[in-house]
Amino acid sequence: MLLAAAWPAGVFAAPAEPLAPGHTALGYDPPAPGSYALPPLGDAGDGQVLDASGDSLRLHGLLGSEVVVLSFIYSTCSDTNGCPLATAVLYKLRSTIEAQPALAGKVRFVSLSFDPVQDTPEVIRLYGMNFTGSEQSTEWTFLTTASQEQLEPILEAYGQPIQPEFDDTGKLTGRIAHILRVFLIDRERRIRNIYSVSFLHADLVLNDILTLQLERRAQQEATSTITRAGTRLSRAGDDRTGYERHDYQSRSRSVEARTGVAADLMANLEAPLPGLPAVAVPGDNPASPAKVALGRKLFYDRRLSLNNTFSCAMCHVPEQGFTSNELETAVGIEGRSVRRNTPTLYNVAFAERLFHDGRETTLEQQVWAPLLARNEMGNPSIGSVIEKLKAMPDYAGLFEAAFAGKGPSMETVGGAIASYERTLVSGNSPFDRWYYGGKADALRDDARRGFTIFTKKGGCSGCHTVGASSAVFTDHGLHNTGVGYWVSMGASGRKHRVLVAPGEYLEVDAATIASVGERQPNDLGLYEITQAPADRWKYRTPTLRNVALTAPYMHNGSLASLRDVVDFYNQGGVPNELLDPRIRPLHLSESEVADLVAFLESLTGDNVDVLVSDAFAAPVGDLTEADPDWAHQSRSGQ
Amino acid sequence: MKATHPRRPWGALALAAGLSGAALLVAPPLGADETCMSPYMAKIVGQEDFVYVWTLGQEGVGDEQDKLVTIDVNPNSSEYGKVVQTLSVGGRNEAHHSGFTDDRRYLWAAGLDTNKIFIFDVHTDPARPKLHKVITDFVARSGGVVGPHTTYALAGRMIITGLSNNRDHGGRTALVEYTNDGQYIATHWMPTDDNLRGARKAGKHADGYGYDLRVLPRRNLMVTSSFTGWSNYMMDFGKMLQDEAAMKRFGNTVVVWDLHSRKPKKVLDVPGAPLELRCAWGANHNYCFTSTALTSKIWLIYEDESGEWHAKAVADIGDPSKVPLPVDISITSDDKHLWVDTFMDGKTRLFDISDPFKPRQVYEKQIGKQINMASQSWNGKRIYYTSSLLANWDKKGDEDEQYFKAYDWDGTALQQKFAIDFTAAKLGRPHQMRFGAYSLYGMKPPRADSHTVAQTD
Repeated sequence: MLLAAAWPAGVFAAPAEPLAPGHTALGYDPPAPGSYALPPLGDAGDGQVLDASGDSLRLHGLLGSEVVVLSFIYSTCSDTNGCPLATAVLYKLRSTIEAQPALAGKVRFVSLSFDPVQDTPEVIRLYGMNFTGSEQSTEWTFLTTASQEQLEPILEAYGQPIQPEFDDTGKLTGRIAHILRVFLIDRERRIRNIYSVSFLHADLVLNDILTLQLERRAQQEATSTITRAGTRLSRAGDDRTGYERHDYQSRSRSVEARTGVAADLMANLEAPLPGLPAVAVPGDNPASPAKVALGRKLFYDRRLSLNNTFSCAMCHVPEQGFTSNELETAVGIEGRSVRRNTPTLYNVAFAERLFHDGRETTLEQQVWAPLLARNEMGNPSIGSVIEKLKAMPDYAGLFEAAFAGKGPSMETVGGAIASYERTLVSGNSPFDRWYYGGKADALRDDARRGFTIFTKKGGCSGCHTVGASSAVFTDHGLHNTGVGYWVSMGASGRKHRVLVAPGEYLEVDAATIASVGERQPNDLGLYEITQAPADRWKYRTPTLRNVALTAPYMHNGSLASLRDVVDFYNQGGVPNELLDPRIRPLHLSESEVADLVAFLESLTGDNVDVLVSDAFAAPVGDLTEADPDWAHQSRSGQ
Repeated sequence: MKATHPRRPWGALALAAGLSGAALLVAPPLGADETCMSPYMAKIVGQEDFVYVWTLGQEGVGDEQDKLVTIDVNPNSSEYGKVVQTLSVGGRNEAHHSGFTDDRRYLWAAGLDTNKIFIFDVHTDPARPKLHKVITDFVARSGGVVGPHTTYALAGRMIITGLSNNRDHGGRTALVEYTNDGQYIATHWMPTDDNLRGARKAGKHADGYGYDLRVLPRRNLMVTSSFTGWSNYMMDFGKMLQDEAAMKRFGNTVVVWDLHSRKPKKVLDVPGAPLELRCAWGANHNYCFTSTALTSKIWLIYEDESGEWHAKAVADIGDPSKVPLPVDISITSDDKHLWVDTFMDGKTRLFDISDPFKPRQVYEKQIGKQINMASQSWNGKRIYYTSSLLANWDKKGDEDEQYFKAYDWDGTALQQKFAIDFTAAKLGRPHQMRFGAYSLYGMKPPRADSHTVAQTD
C-alpha cells in the first residue's frame, strides 16, 4: 500500500507499509448474516468477453444462475493490496464456501482482466490454473476481452476507470492504476455490494452471500422490528416538552411510522359536532368528496411553492395542532421571516375574519395570500401556480372532476383547499360533554371550577364567548392586550437568555444577536388594515378549542404555555392607552390559575387523532422527474 | 511536468516488500480536506491545482444563484489566485457541502433547501467542471428526507446525510444511499426513541437528528452527528436565538453504526449540536473528533479497550459563555493537530491533539469578521478558509464579509497568500471547498512550468 508521499522525511516517521485488512484476520465481528439488508445498487453490466479457451461469450451468460463474486484483475499486477488482494480473498473465500454444504454450487467467481493486450486467453488460462481445480463445486471463471474497445463499455458499466502508469521519466511502466473494486451480484444480475481495499475481506463477503440466501427472512424480520408509536398522534413527533430542564430525555418518534388512515371528512360538514354550530358552507362553493380530496392533496403538496419546498402543512403541521409547536413565529420559503405565529386550522370553518389582523373574509380568498406571499410560499404569480398544476401529471383530471369540468384556476384552487380546511372541525370535548351534553362526570372538578373563573372572576368569556347551545370561544373581534404594544414600544434588554442545550442557558449580548439577525419588522395589528390610530396593536380573538395542542400562544408566539397565558392576563396584560378595558389585573390565586388552565385543557375535541391520522394518510407532494423543473429539460449541462 | 508518479521517501522499503506503484488509485485506510476525505477516496498529497468552492447565491449580488467557483491555487500557474470558472446552477438551493465519488471523477454538491443534488464532472477538464446531472427527486425517492448535507464516498456509492424531513421540517432525518451514477438505493432512518433500530441508547437522547458522517473501515465503524431541522437552519439566526421553542430543536447525539450493515449500534449523548466529524488517520487511532456549535466544546468519540464506543467532552473552544460558535474543524494527517474555526469571532484556532483526551490550544488568528470552513492540504502546509455559514445565519450589514483566503502554515504562524472578495467579485457566499488536480486523472496541466505532484493512493 502506498502512503501519502509528500512529507519531507523526518516530519514524522514513515509508518510501516500496512497490509490491507483482507490479508489478515478481521479486526471486528462482522454483522451476522441476515441481520442486515443489501439493497440493490443497480443492474450488473454486460459485454462481450473471451474465456480461457478463447471462446467469445456474453458476460451476462455467467451471471444469473448463481450468486457471483466478480473481480477485475490483470495477470502482471503485483501490488499486494491490488489484484493479488482480490484474488487472495476470493481464494480464501472459496475454501470457506466449500466447507458450507448449503452454499455448494450456489456461488460462482468471475475474474475479468482489464489488460486485453498482455492477458490473452492463453495467459489467462495459465493464470487461472493456479486457482482452479476439479474437486471444487464453486466455479471460478477467468476471462479477458478481445480488445480495448470491447473492454471499455464493461469498465464503464462497472465504474472502473483505469489509467496507464508512467514512471519518473514519463514512460509507460506497463502497470495500470485503478480503484480496486469487487462486486457481489445476485441471481437477478443486480449488484448487491461493492468492496474496495479497506473493505474486502472473505468473512464479510461470505456473510453477504449468506445474507442474500436469507434475504426473504431477513426482510420479514426487519419489518417486524418497527415498533409503532403510541396511539396519541396529536403531538409533535419530536416532543421537546421539558427541554429547559437538565433532566430532559428525548421522546423522538420515527418519521417512518407516521402513517394514518383516511377519514370520512365529509361527515364533519353534514351534522354539527356536539358543542359546535353547524358548518356554514358557502353556496358558491359547495363541498363534495372529490373537492375535499383534491383540497387535501393540494394542502400537503410542497410543489405548490416557487422552489417545491413548501406546502400549507409545513406551517400548519397536523400533529402540532395544525399550527407549529416548534416556532414562535413562522418561517417561510428560503427561511424568510414571517412576523406572526401560525394560527391553528382547527375549526377555521367558523372564523368570520382570517389572519391575526382579520384582514381576509373567506377561506377561498385567504388561500391565495400564503401562496403568493414572498416570505411564505413565494410563488411569483397566480398564473404560475395554475400553469404548474396543469403540468403536474398527478393532477390530471382532478380539478375537472371536482369542479364540473373546470380546470385549475384561481377559483378552483381556492375552492378546493378551503373545502378541505373547512372539514377540520373538532368538538365533543370533555367540556362539551359536560356543559352541552349534561354528563356530570365528563369534566374534572378543577376544570369545572376553572369554567366558573372563565365566565365570572376572570371575565375571559367576554371575548372568548360561550353560547347557549354551542361555543366557538371567540367574539370574532380584535382587541389590544398589550402584547403587540410591548414589542413595538417596550424597552429591549441588553442581554437575552438563550437556551443552548437541555437545561443550559447562556446570557447573550443583544449586540451579538443583532450582528446575526435582520431588524425585526414592526407589527401594528389591525391598524395596518384600517389606518385608524385606535386600531393599533389589535389582534383577532382566537378560538380556544384544542388550545392545549396549539402552543406557543399569542399572535407572536411569545407565551410558551397556557400557564404563561393565564399569568399574563392575571397580571392585566401590558398597560397601554389602547388596552382593551376588559383586561385588568384579575387577582387570581395560585389554585384559581391552575383551575383555569385545567379548564382550557378540557377543550380538546375527541376527533383530533382521527383528523391527524387522516392527514398522515395524505400523500406529501414532492418533486418527481415527471414534474416541470428546468433541470428536467436541460440535463446534459452547460 | 511529470505525471502522477509520487515521490516516496520510503520507496526502498516498498520495493523490498515487493510492491509496485501499480495500484495508485487503491484507497488506503489512512491518509486528512484533503485531510477530511473519505478513506475510500483517491487523495492529492502534492500541490493541488484547484479549489472548487460551492457558493450560495445571494440576493442583490451578481446573478443571485448558487454556483461552483473554481479557483486556481497552484503557485506555478499563471492564473494563480484567480477565479478560473464560475458555473451557475439555478436558484438559491442553500448550497452547503459537497463531496467526490470514490473515483474522484464527480463532485456531488447538495442544496439544503431545495434538496437538489448537483453532480459535476470534474475529471474531463479539472479547470472547467461541467454540470453532469441534477438529482431533483431526492425527497420523493428517499421517503421524505430533506436537507441533503454530507455527500460521502463509500465503495462505489455515495452516502448522504439528511438534516430534516418533509413532514414537519424538524430535525428527524435519515441517511440515504445512491449509486455513483445517481440511482437511489436505500434510506436508513436515524434511531429514535420509539424505534432504536437495534441500537442502544447510552444516555438520555435518541433524537433521530443528523448532520455529518465519517467512517473508520478498519473498525467497521460509521459515525454520525446531529444538527437541527430545516426550520432552524433556514431561519434568520438572530430571530432563532430569541425563539426558545426553536432553540429546543437541536441535536444532542452522536450515533455509532455498524458500517457494513448500516445498523445503528449506540446512541451517545453529545449535547449542544455536534457538527463536523473528523476521524483520526493513524492505524491504531480508533477515535474521531467533533465540536458542539452551541456549547463550544471539542468532543472525543473513542473506542475503549473492550471495543465500546464513548463520547467525552475534552476541551472548551474559546469562552463558551460568549457563544463563539465553532463550525468547521480540520485534522492534520499526522493526527497531531486540529484546526477549529469559530464563526462569531472570525478566528481559526489550532489545538494540539497529540493526547486526544487533552486538546490544548496552541495558536489562534483572526481570519475575518466571520469564518466558516477550513480546508488544508495533505501535508498541512496550505490552508484555505471561506466565510459563509448559512444564508440566514451569516452576519448582517458591514460584518457580512464574504471571502476565500489562502494561507501558508509554517508550523508556527499563518501567512496569507491571497484573498478573493466574493462580494466584490459578485459571486455570493462561499462555503465548502474541495480540491482538484490534473494528476488525479493522469493529465498534465496545459502549461510547461508547473510541477503538480499528486498521489492517488
